[in-house]
Amino acid sequence: MNATLPRFFWNEYRKRRKKTALITFALFWGTLSILLLMSFGSGITTQFKVAFSGLGETLIMVYGGQTSLPFEGLAKGRRIQLYPEDIDYLKERIPEIGRIVPESYTYLQVSANGKEINRNIHGTTDEFSLLRTQIPQMGGRFLDADDVAQGRKVAFIGWQVAKDLFGGAEVVGREIVINRIPFTVIGVLKEKTQNSMYNGPDAEQIYLPINAYRQIDNSRRLNQIHIQPREASQSKLIESRVRTLLGRKYRFSPDDTYAVSFWNTIENAQESEAIFKGIETFLGLVGALTLLIGAVGVTNLMYAVAKERTKEIGIKLAIGARRRVIVQQFLLETLFIFAKGTFWGFVTAFNIVHLIRLIPVSYDSIGIQSYLLRPEFSLQIFLTNMVIVGILVFLSGIFPALRAAKSDPIESLRYE
Amino acid sequence: MIELQGITKIYKMGSQTLEALRGVSLKIGKGEFISIMGPSGSGKSTLMNIVGCLDTPTGGRYFLDGKNVAGLTFDQLAAVRNRKIGFVFQNFNLLPYSTAWENIELPMLFDGKNHRKRKERVTELLQAVGLYDWREHRPSELSGGQQQRIALARSLANDPPILLADEPTGNLDSKSGQEIMDILMRLWKEGRTIVMVTHNDEIAAKSQRVIRLFDGQVVPERTA
Ligand SMILES: Nc1ncnc2c1ncn2[C@@H]1O[C@H](COP(=O)(O)OP(=O)(O)OP(=O)(O)O)[C@@H](O)[C@H]1O
Ligand SMILES: [Mg+2]
Repeated sequence: MNATLPRFFWNEYRKRRKKTALITFALFWGTLSILLLMSFGSGITTQFKVAFSGLGETLIMVYGGQTSLPFEGLAKGRRIQLYPEDIDYLKERIPEIGRIVPESYTYLQVSANGKEINRNIHGTTDEFSLLRTQIPQMGGRFLDADDVAQGRKVAFIGWQVAKDLFGGAEVVGREIVINRIPFTVIGVLKEKTQNSMYNGPDAEQIYLPINAYRQIDNSRRLNQIHIQPREASQSKLIESRVRTLLGRKYRFSPDDTYAVSFWNTIENAQESEAIFKGIETFLGLVGALTLLIGAVGVTNLMYAVAKERTKEIGIKLAIGARRRVIVQQFLLETLFIFAKGTFWGFVTAFNIVHLIRLIPVSYDSIGIQSYLLRPEFSLQIFLTNMVIVGILVFLSGIFPALRAAKSDPIESLRYE
Repeated sequence: MIELQGITKIYKMGSQTLEALRGVSLKIGKGEFISIMGPSGSGKSTLMNIVGCLDTPTGGRYFLDGKNVAGLTFDQLAAVRNRKIGFVFQNFNLLPYSTAWENIELPMLFDGKNHRKRKERVTELLQAVGLYDWREHRPSELSGGQQQRIALARSLANDPPILLADEPTGNLDSKSGQEIMDILMRLWKEGRTIVMVTHNDEIAAKSQRVIRLFDGQVVPERTA
């Protein structure tokens, strides 16, 4: 190709720019909408996953219940309750258990700073924070092993409790009073998104070392036992062992699924995995359909322009253009329109995504904004999109041009 | 220079076939000025397009400078159209988005001529057809006569020895037609071979020889 032809191609492209503006715009718009769709979809999925993982990782929770089968002469309908001794009893007998943590709670009045509120007060051990992601804000900490062993009168509180009692003021070191017993606040829970919970949002909870908790609630009863398996795959095994062992101790049938009940986040995780897959498939499908509609539109426009150019191609052939020149010009022009449209689509989508991400998201509540304001831009989505649209655009444009460049010039000249 | 032997052209339209040329044989020598006449539909344009290498015959042989055109590739034919044969159409066939200058320059661009050569030649041609001042205008801004002069200039861009014109004055008023004819006569006198289709006896009278077509065949000269 000699050097003057590219300039000629460029000139011709510029002359035709108005005619191809619609194609450029269609490419721009298609790229933009698909990228935004996929970015928001991917952001929602990620936020969803983050929110789900707010409830620790693989975790089995054990609750007391009522027997539903008669057993060794005992009638059904007996109440089964869990007690602190069960912790060591289970831990010693089930080596697959990684961590095991007791939890009791009760709803009580809390007063501090001249204010009184009612909240759930929990008694537990230091390992609770390892199972239930209790990350303290700067300057504070969760309960530690000494707090638990010595039954220190300390409390770890949710950020909402801190706000309600002390406003925005410094909280660590202050005192709260429960059942006339003063506790020192040692930490405040850091804000997080959470949409999976069993006792109201973490923001509203108060945690005490279990031995100190006994002084405000002397029932000794455990509301639940948290178990973290050494390996996630052992969770079902642990469940059945726990049921059998507790059945032996409290005398109920190992087949009685109502005597003690379980809440297994591993099962839940599998379920939510299916939900994510569902969301992703749905988004992929919507994306593919959008792409298809866009591609049909662009293909149509491209084909129309290519046909319109048939006569021009005829003229050029008649005055001595070689086939290569015709095809080259066509390819370059298509490439240029394609690059321009998709480039601006890319730039616009990229900027929109990153501007939206600049908006701060408050994790105070489980808000819609944490889902919508965290789109994720993916280069992979962009490239996939480019390849598919690119192929369609070139195929739709190249055939009329190739046909024109193959037949006698008179065929194209006759074209009106 | 141009020799046709038993050229036929058959158009197929669905199940129907139409014989536009039924064995045309003729010879045109270098420097001749020939008119082709005949009633509408007799095959004049079909013949011109074949001679101009814009179309391929169904049968027969076409020798251009002793070479069988059937043996040429697509790009070799393009080169013939580019350098050897200038073609003027009844309906001008100028590129609508390009200026007069650019239209004339294009055949030279396809020939790979450098910028200086192109500039010189376009200027010369624009002056020859009296439209230098109109060089930046697009075809739609020019009259029919002006457009045909630009088309004529374009056909001469690479200085082809043969000029084919299919009813070049057919779409023009008589004054514009006269201007085109004057230019053609001048070109012939400069030594070019000119073949022209016309319906006008007056114009045909200016040529050296008239070939008459009737129903796809050449009418023998005696009876013409
Ligand atoms: N592409 C085509 N397909 C089918 N038939 C065609 C085609 N081109 C020309 N014909 C037919 O071939 C015959 C000859 O056409 P041609 O254009 O050569 O005539 P012409 O002598 O130039 O007529 P006119 O004086 O009207 O220009 C006509 O009957 C025409 O209808
Ligand atoms: Mg005709």
